Amino acid sequence: MYIVYLCIMKTEFIENWHSQLRKGLLPLFVFMILENKKCYGYELIQDIKVGFDIDVGEGTLYPLLVRLAKEGLLTHQWEEQPSGIPRKYYSISIEGKSALAAMKTYAGLIFKKINE
Amino acid sequence: MKAISFDTQSAQRVYNDYIQRCRKATSILSAKDREDVLLEINSHIYEYLSANSTKDQMETLLNVLERLGAPEETLKEMVAFKKIGQATLTYNPKHLIQALALNLTNGVIYIILFVLFLFEIAFPILIILKLIYPDQVGLFTRSNGTFLYGYLSKSGSGGISIGFSNPAKGTEILGSWFIPVSLLIAVLIYIGIIFLLKVVKKNKKK
Repeated sequence: MYIVYLCIMKTEFIENWHSQLRKGLLPLFVFMILENKKCYGYELIQDIKVGFDIDVGEGTLYPLLVRLAKEGLLTHQWEEQPSGIPRKYYSISIEGKSALAAMKTYAGLIFKKINE
Repeated sequence: MKAISFDTQSAQRVYNDYIQRCRKATSILSAKDREDVLLEINSHIYEYLSANSTKDQMETLLNVLERLGAPEETLKEMVAFKKIGQATLTYNPKHLIQALALNLTNGVIYIILFVLFLFEIAFPILIILKLIYPDQVGLFTRSNGTFLYGYLSKSGSGGISIGFSNPAKGTEILGSWFIPVSLLIAVLIYIGIIFLLKVVKKNKKK
């Protein structure tokens, strides 16, 4: 019984850790996608799913995009569509590109240490 | 904002209701910020529906709304963040109170900010009281070194006070300088609140 309890606790711990890690890495994933092309919110969610195998919730992504844009790391512009419902396209700014380079370097160092 | 049209009345009603809830949840924001949030939600719903156009429209709509979550919860963080931006940009006390109230649950720092804001309200009240009761409002000192900054009732106890409670009738030392001093303290507290909010905002971004 105690062993089962410990296993559940460990599984919960790992799941929480996965969730925190994904959340922490999310800005990096967003920058990496936007480095190659501008994207609107729905498109970003799909690209994160395909590229990083993470189903990020809208309630997580949109507040993050607002924060990154306020910080000047992302820019955005509304583009009219034939449907009459415009899309808000996000692009990475110059500061965002510098942040991405720093994040990649740091992430690289951590993963290198882990694999040593 | 152009509304999305649906094949069935029930789907249209569900969509209209959701957008209405989003409008309500963002009513505290500036017109520009509110429109921006609503347009983005509308765009997201439309893109999701378009990408899943082969499936049942009602079911797809319910799926996307479920993913978006209840507007009152999902938009809470975005609204709180945008509100801090608005408060620090405009210096408008109304936006400041709203930003503090929205973020009160987000940490101890906001409780400290809220207490500071209560002090901020107390000083203008004391200025008004000084004009009405000039002898009972001021900075009172006692021989034992205790002091009271505020309103002292004629019996020497009670009233609004900042300092030690219940001092015996003391000597008022500020006189007519009480009003400019109170005004200065209120301004300094206000600047302090704005400064703390900016620090919090910066830390949040980190």
